[in-house]
Amino acid sequence: MDINFMASVILFSLIGSLISAFFSFVGKEGKQHKAIMIFLALSTGVGAVAGMFFLLSGQTQWVIFQSSWIFGAPLILQTLSALFFVLLNTVACLASIYAIQYVEQYRNIYNVKTLDSLMAIFIFGMQGVLLSATPFSFLLFWEIMSLSSFFLVMADKEIASIRAALFYLIMTHLGAGALLAGFMILSNGSFLESFTRLAFIAQQLPPQTLFGVFLLFLFGFGSKAGLVPFHVWLPEAHPQAPSHISALMSGVMLKMALYGFFVLTLTILPPIGMVASMIVIALGLLSAFFGVLYAVIERDVKRVLAFSSIENMGIIFTMVGVAFFAQSQNLIAFSHAAIGAALLFAIAHAFFKSGLFMGAGVMVHAAHTRSLEAMGGLAKRMPLFSGAMLILALSAAALPPFSAFAAEWIFIQNLVSELSAASLLVQGVFVLILTLVALVGGLALFAMIKLFGIGFLGEPRSEHVEHADVPGNLISVPIYILAGLSVVVAFCAPWVLRVIKFNDLSTADGLQSNLIASGAALNPLYLFLALVIAIAAVFVLRRFLSDVKNERPYHTWDCGQPITSGMEYTATAFSSPIRFFFRMITRSGKIVTVTPIVETNTWIASRVFSLELRQIWYDWFYVPITKIFLRASTAIRRLQNGVIQFYIALIFIALVLTLTIAI
Amino acid sequence: MDDSGVDYARLNYLMSFAKLLHRLFFGPRITESKKIFLSENNELEQVGKELKSIIHSLYGGRSLRIRAVDGGSTNAEEIELTALNNAYYDIDRFGLSFVASPRHADMVWVTGPITRNLERAVKTTYEAAPEPCIVVAVGDGACTGGIWKDSYAVVGALENVIPVHIKIPGDPPTPTQILKGVLSALKNSSSRS
Amino acid sequence: MNAFLLTGIQIVAVLGISPFTVGLVRMFKARLQGRHGASPFLPYITIATLLKKQMVISKSTSWVFKIVPFVVLGSTIFLVCVLPLVVFGGMFASLGHFIIIAGVLALGAVFLVMGGLESASAFGGMGASREMTLASLVEPAVITTFATFAVVTGAFTIDAMFQGAHILTSPALVPAVAALIMIALAENARYPVDNPATHLELTMVHEAMVLEYSGPYLALLEYASAIKLTIFSLLVANVLFPLTLASNLSAAAIAIALGFVVVKIVIVSFSLALLESVIAKMRFYRMHEFLTIAFFIALSGLVFALMSISL
Repeated sequence: MDINFMASVILFSLIGSLISAFFSFVGKEGKQHKAIMIFLALSTGVGAVAGMFFLLSGQTQWVIFQSSWIFGAPLILQTLSALFFVLLNTVACLASIYAIQYVEQYRNIYNVKTLDSLMAIFIFGMQGVLLSATPFSFLLFWEIMSLSSFFLVMADKEIASIRAALFYLIMTHLGAGALLAGFMILSNGSFLESFTRLAFIAQQLPPQTLFGVFLLFLFGFGSKAGLVPFHVWLPEAHPQAPSHISALMSGVMLKMALYGFFVLTLTILPPIGMVASMIVIALGLLSAFFGVLYAVIERDVKRVLAFSSIENMGIIFTMVGVAFFAQSQNLIAFSHAAIGAALLFAIAHAFFKSGLFMGAGVMVHAAHTRSLEAMGGLAKRMPLFSGAMLILALSAAALPPFSAFAAEWIFIQNLVSELSAASLLVQGVFVLILTLVALVGGLALFAMIKLFGIGFLGEPRSEHVEHADVPGNLISVPIYILAGLSVVVAFCAPWVLRVIKFNDLSTADGLQSNLIASGAALNPLYLFLALVIAIAAVFVLRRFLSDVKNERPYHTWDCGQPITSGMEYTATAFSSPIRFFFRMITRSGKIVTVTPIVETNTWIASRVFSLELRQIWYDWFYVPITKIFLRASTAIRRLQNGVIQFYIALIFIALVLTLTIAI
Repeated sequence: MDDSGVDYARLNYLMSFAKLLHRLFFGPRITESKKIFLSENNELEQVGKELKSIIHSLYGGRSLRIRAVDGGSTNAEEIELTALNNAYYDIDRFGLSFVASPRHADMVWVTGPITRNLERAVKTTYEAAPEPCIVVAVGDGACTGGIWKDSYAVVGALENVIPVHIKIPGDPPTPTQILKGVLSALKNSSSRS
Repeated sequence: MNAFLLTGIQIVAVLGISPFTVGLVRMFKARLQGRHGASPFLPYITIATLLKKQMVISKSTSWVFKIVPFVVLGSTIFLVCVLPLVVFGGMFASLGHFIIIAGVLALGAVFLVMGGLESASAFGGMGASREMTLASLVEPAVITTFATFAVVTGAFTIDAMFQGAHILTSPALVPAVAALIMIALAENARYPVDNPATHLELTMVHEAMVLEYSGPYLALLEYASAIKLTIFSLLVANVLFPLTLASNLSAAAIAIALGFVVVKIVIVSFSLALLESVIAKMRFYRMHEFLTIAFFIALSGLVFALMSISL
């Protein structure tokens, strides 16, 4: 096919988002909801196809839109941005299909017109970020993305949502400010220079300045990606948004931060060096560990997923950090493999996390609450949907043969193989990473099984779930597709790596090929087949050896006393051992309040138990900062004494100071 | 430790441990090997032998797992059941064992006059156990209601609640009597199926 | 073809001997308690009986409950196919990367946990929560232990690791083997992690999750745990005595390897029974101490290995 044609398809996809936003906004109150979502799904869908076409064509760059007078350099698509473009558009397409029925269910809560419009703008912003080639357009689209998602977070207009949204706004703008400052230093104030030109300028800058710029960008992108300790907004904001928006925010928006970080470190800045890479690794490991720990102990289904996103981004940033660290130690092959693993993980994460968030929407709709404590028994009521969710949860847990496993396999395999040859420092860092990644992997398993086990298995813990209906096709099919994609990415991991130009991590051309890591090969399809054949053999043997029909339904063995769903293990109880073992870190507190019922006898009392989940970053980092600011502002407020002469004096002093500095 | 550097206490400890191991494996056991044990206790030999042969005919020489349910007994029977597990009676060697769930059980042993409070427990335990399942009433309480027979608080004999395959009378029956009872339970059961 | 036959022999041997292993441990334990104990062949009969019996399925359960036994036993059989238990260089040895082994072990554990949660009773949930905790916290120790082997031998499949890892020539492996033994105890729910003979639900880990299974499904699960015990027994024995495995298809080599399998099983069963008779079970809420010790032993092994290489 013609390149120009495909490039214009991508442009159509970009404009399509804008058009749907416009028509949704001018249209009558949500009347065209269905039509607009279908149009959005179409425009993003063709965008994904065109992006895929670009990746398969093997070309390195397409010019999408020539507009030197708006953006400086043209909008372009490159291999890296095309990969993220495909991810974004695939997820956006499925989210739009999902939204058709999902939003209908909540028509009385959301302003459908604005919601659709903002969603389209949000997608438009992210598409733009990926196509940008100048600081100006990058920051412009970045802001469009941030602001639209800010409004989306408070779409249900509840107090909690508005608080979360404002918190998100502040954090994301601190980050955007850091990006602005970083670009300002890099480009000498000229925002219309292209990224290639910036790379040229960066080579001229002294290393200290570059390090400062790197830190600014790390903060800017890290706060968007939810790296600890800049993550506190994420578990507040992601759960408050409608589920398809959560899916977009967690599955794709976090990837935008990753993409930005890649663009900066791979194409603009010179190799960042050892110290900088160790900072990235430290932040990555910290995020992975704290994210997964809270994913295990949280009880709100969407917060579990949000914390799990922090963990996943932490793992990805660890991989990226290790790549740069290896680069600084001249382990070029390993550096390459680690980037490949990070990208593979990012692809897997985009699919499974958006699927899980959409699924969480169904769970929340069934239970009428986000609390896992009120769920359970969904597997019996929605067998097909629960099957898809099981696949997604197992993918998120990085279990073989599912998608994230391939990435972790490449990473750990290479890490271990580099261990013996490396210097003492490298060995130390690698051993630390190895053990922490293993611990995080184990706990991620816990978090995902808690989510699935408590949410889907056993008896329903509330009335609502008992009468829950099977989700409509338009809601469940996108989740099935995402589950399917998770599986496909797992089996075709070598092929995926080859498409995104990581040839040496995969062999053979076909879809069934080997993953290569440090001389060892693994065929994910064979792994899957071996497991399936073993399980099938057991299945057949069992039918052969015993009478299949000889079974009888009866209620769960109850020790003679009827059991109710109130006696089931809850999410709190399930994660209690982990909470206990890590109590030094999580600092969660049990509160037991005893109130005597009879005044005269203190032994007859009602006891109320509650569990306080605290976030130490919030308590020890953000609250003190807020306090300092409040105290400082209270001190400064004394200036407001209402005497006009005093104000004039202040203005005069300020003027003198400014002039002095300027001169 | 003395001057020669040999830790005699430790050596002694190891020696006595080796002696203990030797005694445990090669010396006389509390539950002696079946031949010696049976020659000393003819009654139990009879029970054990027949039990084994019937289990053989029923399941082709298989193992049986027991779920014990307390239907409101004085716990005298429970003490005798516990005794079955000890080193003297050791029902393990006959392929019998107690399990933690009726789902795993091949036999349900019930004790005590079934009290109103425990009627449902006994019934659900029986229903929760997969077929084929042998029900044994252990002790006078479960067989007839015992001295509580006509009390308003009890349902009486186990038969009133679930079908019983065998009754083992005695208040409480001795472990030997219990094994004898199991034997007839298996006879009934084999004729039933 | 050779490799195929070797794997076939291994599968038949391990699947065949597994119930015997469990029975043997029970018999040794009985003897150590002064009892006569059941025949070591009893588990075969138990499993056969269970296969004949009816299944009672709880009304609370869904499709997940019914796939659990198959996935648990299937994943265990996968491990039998890929690990060096009786022979080296089997058909699927190339799939035996240590991360896959850790992952498939976790896969089996995870499905068992889901089976426990399906019953909707507090016992199942309790067992599930505990098993999940153990499975997730043992992961760092597993990865570190196998990483030590990988560093020492430069290989990534367990098969190649064990072929190259001679404990006499590389003493750095001693802590790794110690950690492997601790991992084996935790993975198989033996003392001091779990009491496999308990009837008291409050102290159960493994048993609590299978309380709801009956008949053939229970047979599959019990068989799976027997195979897992055999796998770990043979792994620990093989890392100490790698020469006892067959690596070609000559009748003599196979016969010797099979003979050694029985010898190894007897020795390991006896050691396990002895261990379980002389130590007490740890309180579950002290389990992190056990697992941390296992992890740090594994870590020290890795550090020793790295040091011995750089020296």
